[in-house]
Amino acid sequence: MKKKISLIMCGLLVVGTLFGCGNAAQTGGTEVNNESAQTDGEGTEEVEETKQDASTEQTEIKIWHDGDEAIMKTIADRVNASLAEKKITVSFEKKTGLTDQLQLYGNDAANGPDMYLYAHDSLGTFVEMGILAPIDDMADAGVMGDLLPMTVEAGSYNGEQYLVPVYFETLLFLYNKELWNGDLPTSTEDLYEYMKANTDTAAGTYAVVNQHSTAYNVAPFINGFGGYIIDKDGNPGLNNQETKDAVEYNKKFAALQADGDYNTVTTLFNEKKAAAIIGGPWLISGIKDAGIDLGIKSLSDFVLPNGKALAPYSGVQGVGVMKHAAENKKEAVTEVLKAIAAPEVGIDLANNSNCAPANVKSYEDAGVAGNEMIMAMKETADTAQPMPNIPQMSVMWAPAEGLLAAVNKSGEDINTVAEEFEKQAETAIADMQ
Amino acid sequence: MRRSNKRLPWAYSLPALILVGIVIVFPIIYTGYLSLTNMNLYHWFDFEIIGFSNYERALLKLDSGFLSALFTTIIWTAVNMALQVVLAYFIAMALNVDGLRLNRLYKTLLMFPWAMPAYVSILLWRVGMYNTEFGLLNKVLTALGMEKVNFLAENTPAFISCLVLNLWMALPFMIMMIDGALQSIDKSYYESAQLDGAGFLARNIYITIPALRGIIAPAVIMTTFTTFKQFDIIYLLTMQKGALSGATLQTIITYAHQNAFVSNNYGLSSAVSIIIFVLIVVFSLGTNRGLREES
Repeated sequence: MKKKISLIMCGLLVVGTLFGCGNAAQTGGTEVNNESAQTDGEGTEEVEETKQDASTEQTEIKIWHDGDEAIMKTIADRVNASLAEKKITVSFEKKTGLTDQLQLYGNDAANGPDMYLYAHDSLGTFVEMGILAPIDDMADAGVMGDLLPMTVEAGSYNGEQYLVPVYFETLLFLYNKELWNGDLPTSTEDLYEYMKANTDTAAGTYAVVNQHSTAYNVAPFINGFGGYIIDKDGNPGLNNQETKDAVEYNKKFAALQADGDYNTVTTLFNEKKAAAIIGGPWLISGIKDAGIDLGIKSLSDFVLPNGKALAPYSGVQGVGVMKHAAENKKEAVTEVLKAIAAPEVGIDLANNSNCAPANVKSYEDAGVAGNEMIMAMKETADTAQPMPNIPQMSVMWAPAEGLLAAVNKSGEDINTVAEEFEKQAETAIADMQ
Repeated sequence: MRRSNKRLPWAYSLPALILVGIVIVFPIIYTGYLSLTNMNLYHWFDFEIIGFSNYERALLKLDSGFLSALFTTIIWTAVNMALQVVLAYFIAMALNVDGLRLNRLYKTLLMFPWAMPAYVSILLWRVGMYNTEFGLLNKVLTALGMEKVNFLAENTPAFISCLVLNLWMALPFMIMMIDGALQSIDKSYYESAQLDGAGFLARNIYITIPALRGIIAPAVIMTTFTTFKQFDIIYLLTMQKGALSGATLQTIITYAHQNAFVSNNYGLSSAVSIIIFVLIVVFSLGTNRGLREES
């Protein structure tokens, strides 16, 4: 008897273990919950049937993102209001680790998104994977015409447009008005002189701090010197003479900027031990909480010894369309792209969340025009370069930052290490194939 | 009847076998399968079997960089294990001294580093101990009138910094194991030895250490593997994306990660994983055989 009971229990355990592999949608009725559909990974046919039934009344466009929920709510509210008459509803779903999620679900019409909103630098990766559709026939000149050229460029890959830019970010010169002495310099050399005169590393007080060994934060120098981390054809440029000149030039600033770690430099600025920081809009909420009287200046206002302005990278948040949605929901997607690109969305984003809109017309709004940080970012957009969106860029951060850390922190010779990290970069790029 | 008796244990074990199969065996087999394909960014959905060319490429990575990483890994494992066992032995002995007050409290406190999530501990040490501006060590140095030191900027100090942190995190487990083993030794051995005039050293060499060896061997083997394949301490202290410290320390796992796992080339990464897997299995078989022969 005991044996039989034990065997039955084992059988039940086996069934229970394998039950999780079953098709949940088969057990349910016609109502399919989005969340359960995502996690089940199955039940494709049932979900599609349900969607088709629903499409006669309302078309739902699901957009995945990995950003601030408040920002997405702002976009959703405005877009849904403008598309209400057309019976199109947009819903945003946050997916942490969006790149990995899209690698899994990008081509899955039932469980994946119809569109996604994310930084433009992953664009090439998604296009090469074959999950994105070009939007040239869905977003015409009427949609794209009013968008800042830099943001439009960020959303194009191999000559085709894949993203409608929504807002963008770039580095700024943020300073504490209480701590800064005198006028702000207009050249990097004057800035360096100010730093030398107002930095006491032993006491832990600094004039300007920057993440001096992070490629994104050194890009203003590299781009300004005419160097590059990687070119449009996927060739690394760490051993390029202009890049080396820029890294060497940045080194003297780095010596006066603590260890350059993100946590260190932001804490120094927020604790009023640094008078200025080179950082992005993501620092603003922490700075406000610290009660700092903040001043903002565009990095384009600083001129390098070669006469060119600092040229930071820009990160553009744009919305792209999955291939299956472009085929099955083209009309609705076209309407959504048009609604998202509208200046009203940019105005809402600027006023509610301090985002710099991609639409030029948004800046005509008085509230937006009066926002010091947003206007500084718009000004920087003239010299800013979109981060490269080719897939090879994803393996360039490590060698580029290895080079910077070797020069700034370990005191290595630029020529020796530039060659070494260039080879590392070439190997990493070759390994992608 | 006999046949039924043979099948019965398999039937009882079936749920566990299925679970082990799904959780452990399937991923290994699937990784092996992927290692034979050209699955990468450019062949995400249309990948196909390409034979052993990923293994050829992976083995080509066994260059001077790999050998240097292997050497660092061996030194890292040997130094860590030697220090862990010796320190844990003496701390456990101290905790078992007769008449020690509050010994349970000390044991509980010693467990904290082990109980803390590794990620939290590592970042806590990076900022709270080693940071040039806010770290305790640099605060002490500047209070003594000395210059700040970037402990993680160069290889040797970075290695020592990682070592100290690993000891802090791993010692509690070893102390707990040795402490438990010490309590299982019959006290009468010590009483007899004392009557025979054995001192502290003799008691340790002839009674404690031989009695402990068999009991703590599994813990030592487990910890050796954990230390050998250590990734998070070295990565988070010195190589974290956006916060490289300047040191270029590489163990074989960080080397493999840097060379194969950031490229979205799943075929190549899988081949590297299988090679590391085989290396660890061989290492494990060697260790087990050594233990059997010893016993």
